[in-house]
Amino acid sequence: MSASETSPLEAWTALQAEAQQRERQRATGHPIQITVGLASCGIAAGGMETQAAFAEAIATQGLPAELRTVGCCGHCYAEPVVIIDHPQSGFPALFYHEVNPGKVHMLVRNFLLGGDPCLEHVMGAMEANDLLPAVNDFARFGLEKRIVMERCGRIDPASIAAYLADGGYGALASALALSPAEIVARITAAGLRGRGGAGYPTGEKWRLAASQSATERHLICNADEGDPGAYMDRTLIESNPHQLIEGMLIAAYAVGASRAKIYIRAEYPLAVSTLEVALAQARQHGLLGDAILGSHFGIEIEIFQGSGAFVCGEETALIRSMEGFRGTPRHRPPYPSVSGLFDAPTVINNVKTLSIVPPIIAKGADWFRGIGTAESPGTAIFSVVGDVTHPGLVEIPMGVTLRHLIFDVCGGIPDQKHFKAAQIGGPSGGCLNETFLDTPIDFDTLAEAGAMMGSGGLVVMNAESCMVDVARFFLEFTQKESCGKCAFCRIGTHHLLTCLEALTKGKAEAGALELLQTLSEDICNGSLCGLGKTAPNPVLTSLRHFAEDYRAHLEQQRCPGLTCRPLIAHYIDLEKCARGCDACVGVCPVAAVFTTSTRKKGIDIDLCIQCGECIAACPPQYDAVRVVSPPALAPRVERPQTDPPKNAEEG
Amino acid sequence: MLMEMGLDREEIAALATIRSELKEIPAQRRYLIPLLQRVQQALSYLPQAAIQLVAQHLHLSPSEVYGVATFYNQFRFTPPGRHPVRVCMGTACHVKGGDIILEHFERKLEIKEGETTPDREFSIERVACVGCCALAPVALMGDALHGHMMTGKVEGLILRVQIEKEKARREMGDRDER
Amino acid sequence: MVELIVDGHRMTVPPGQQLLAACLAEGIYIPHLCHLEEAPRPAAACRLCFVEIAGVPAPQPACTIRVASALKVRTDTPAVRRLQRMALRLLLSAHHIDCRRCHANRACALQSIARFLKVGLHPKPLMAIARPDEVDRHHPFIDHYPRRCVLCGRCVRTCRNGNDHPQFSFTGRGIDTVVRHYASNLALDKRCSECRRCVAACPVGALQWRREGAGASESVD
Repeated sequence: MSASETSPLEAWTALQAEAQQRERQRATGHPIQITVGLASCGIAAGGMETQAAFAEAIATQGLPAELRTVGCCGHCYAEPVVIIDHPQSGFPALFYHEVNPGKVHMLVRNFLLGGDPCLEHVMGAMEANDLLPAVNDFARFGLEKRIVMERCGRIDPASIAAYLADGGYGALASALALSPAEIVARITAAGLRGRGGAGYPTGEKWRLAASQSATERHLICNADEGDPGAYMDRTLIESNPHQLIEGMLIAAYAVGASRAKIYIRAEYPLAVSTLEVALAQARQHGLLGDAILGSHFGIEIEIFQGSGAFVCGEETALIRSMEGFRGTPRHRPPYPSVSGLFDAPTVINNVKTLSIVPPIIAKGADWFRGIGTAESPGTAIFSVVGDVTHPGLVEIPMGVTLRHLIFDVCGGIPDQKHFKAAQIGGPSGGCLNETFLDTPIDFDTLAEAGAMMGSGGLVVMNAESCMVDVARFFLEFTQKESCGKCAFCRIGTHHLLTCLEALTKGKAEAGALELLQTLSEDICNGSLCGLGKTAPNPVLTSLRHFAEDYRAHLEQQRCPGLTCRPLIAHYIDLEKCARGCDACVGVCPVAAVFTTSTRKKGIDIDLCIQCGECIAACPPQYDAVRVVSPPALAPRVERPQTDPPKNAEEG
Repeated sequence: MLMEMGLDREEIAALATIRSELKEIPAQRRYLIPLLQRVQQALSYLPQAAIQLVAQHLHLSPSEVYGVATFYNQFRFTPPGRHPVRVCMGTACHVKGGDIILEHFERKLEIKEGETTPDREFSIERVACVGCCALAPVALMGDALHGHMMTGKVEGLILRVQIEKEKARREMGDRDER
Repeated sequence: MVELIVDGHRMTVPPGQQLLAACLAEGIYIPHLCHLEEAPRPAAACRLCFVEIAGVPAPQPACTIRVASALKVRTDTPAVRRLQRMALRLLLSAHHIDCRRCHANRACALQSIARFLKVGLHPKPLMAIARPDEVDRHHPFIDHYPRRCVLCGRCVRTCRNGNDHPQFSFTGRGIDTVVRHYASNLALDKRCSECRRCVAACPVGALQWRREGAGASESVD
């Protein structure tokens, strides 16, 4: 390995100039730029069909347009999204939401050929202008503070030129001019805490690994995102893989790693292939392999596909799995920074943590400390789902309140319903009630509330949700994902689940709540690894903040949120039901709806599965379907003799 | 070979291909999971013959290999249906009634989650979050993702597969007649 | 050598020794199931050997502690006993309790730990996880009773320590984890008939040697 004459910075400047040149040529060749968001979420919403429709139109009409793809812009509620930049039309670049192939044909005909941008379908303009509001003035765009996701949805993830031209890999070039110790010092000064959940100081982890005397050190990027409601790691990789690679290279240089790996879920095929492409491009550009940017530093990054086990997000389990064993955690200490993969010092960082590294190196520790709170600098990325107007990925500074996040940034709760709870941090997190709406969110305040930053999953729930059921849902998950090694987690979570299931069926016995509390505390104190120690959090927090929900289930067999199906009943209000209307009959999956002797509708309580399809189908002007708990409150309507009950399994 | 009992001709061929590729993979334990992934990609499940082949190559006992494979959600030990149905059971899908969708698939296909229909046409699995939370509830039929699921859509998806199968059968019949 | 104090009792032991082993050698009993003297790393799986250490807020498993100078240990605090009793109750709730018909009756570690911790064998208020006491005969000579097994892993690790081709492995995950033998191989099975250490390692009678060639449940004790 020999260093060339030029410095890393000079080598990078040359690469960037070339990339900018290429990007300029690309843009000038095509007066119209059409950009489609094609991360997994966009594809799921039909983005591929949208893209194909544009491609076909461009080809058949001979349009001077270039079709580009970007990753995810975080606005999942608006997918598939399309940005059309058509300067000759006199309009700025426009952001269109929910563009299906039908809309594509309309846009091609009216806008690309006719010059009318169909403003009724525009969400906003991409930049400030005099004609129409810019998307950045929207709360959901404007109130975010994007530093990790800054380029997501803006650059083409499959193009290293786009990343380079935008200043990418510049941080690596400046990092290579520093000593490894200086980089560790800078990350420490920035106060960066690991974004994987617990918030351990990243600089400290690096320093510990770097200080071990060893011939070999490993860096592992943990992309084994397993929380059943969080997908930001996948989105980051699908939208901007090069920023992660750059962060990994800087980290590897700082800790003196000789091998680097990305542990990514095999269930994320698009993320895996995006990474493979990006790694190959980086290698081609001398940004990976020997003598990176002409320096003495060289490293390879390999991909290891995880086979699906939530517990492998725990670092000792992740290591066992990479070594070819069952992914069961081990007692710590020793910590992986001292003895990890193949017993060598190993730094394991989350995708988000590593992706923040390049901006910190480029802009400095003080810049980073200027965002967020003193103890938790920087931003947090939440995947906001549930009963919220604008779900999706949101990046906000640490320390903002839940109220701001839910009501200002994400548009509040739809249908004028009331806020009941927010579940933060997934299976290890907790359920918070409205008294926490004004608590600033960071690592420490969440831990105090019994929740956890965790992976950043945030489920917003309105008054019609049941906290016992939410706790049951998460316990069902952790019970299933428990590795089975230690007694507390393996058997304890099973008993928690059994008890919660009994509650949601109205079959719990006296003393159930005390058992839940004691057993939860013991599992927290007695379990071997982080998964077990935090598994009871959804139970403990909901017991603490929503005790009335539990008591109603236990004492009255009543579900206040009208969610637990064994405890509710649907019936049709005969006062409101319209004679002759059949809207609810066809949608019922089990043929439980029948016509009464007065030609109105009734529900056969013995057949009904409480799916609620009839509520959705009932025309709003009648609004005749009611739900009650306990089920005994529903009036019984007899099926007329002439209409014998149909067999649900007809045919 | 005794080892290949119970496999069909295609599976035996796939296994032979894998055996010939094994030379490239060093006999080190850390290649166990990637190797199992490769086998499953080719066979869509891990029959006993495949587990023994992997064990032999990596100098492990079949018990060890089976123990590792059964730990991970990805690996299966019975062949899946030609149209695997996967219902998302992530948080957002749960809140929006994913369990009702799963139950309706079970009801209509007359199998439980984790099972395959006798004609090997469908199988049902639950998956923990496919990451399309804004489209909840979500289900996958094969690789195609379907958002905003309703019980009516469940029936439509099953019907579509059955109609296509019927069509293919008729075309085959037409050809045979000709 | 370092000096430490366990329950007010002064002991002198080599530094770096495992605390659990040191206490047991000194005659101080700490309940345990998964401890294996020759294992390189503790499994820390049974969650019974908790002790309290001065200056450490929560009880720690004694198998994970390396002895250091001036360590002050208590083995019988309320917090320790609470965790131990819950761990035992959990294990008992998943254990098929039918001692009279079990070959390990009176030699079973669960019985003696229950006596020591003053816990009844029926783990109230936890409901027993009801499952039939079936026999797994995948292994040619060794019967396995998965419903008696406490998953301490002593058999698996004993086999792995003395054998590069372990015949038993954990399979499945979570509450469905079982110890299992998969796909017999004559040459390797033969070694089992000479070794039998896994059977001896089982603390609860979940493994039982079957007479060679006998397919049914005739057992040799």
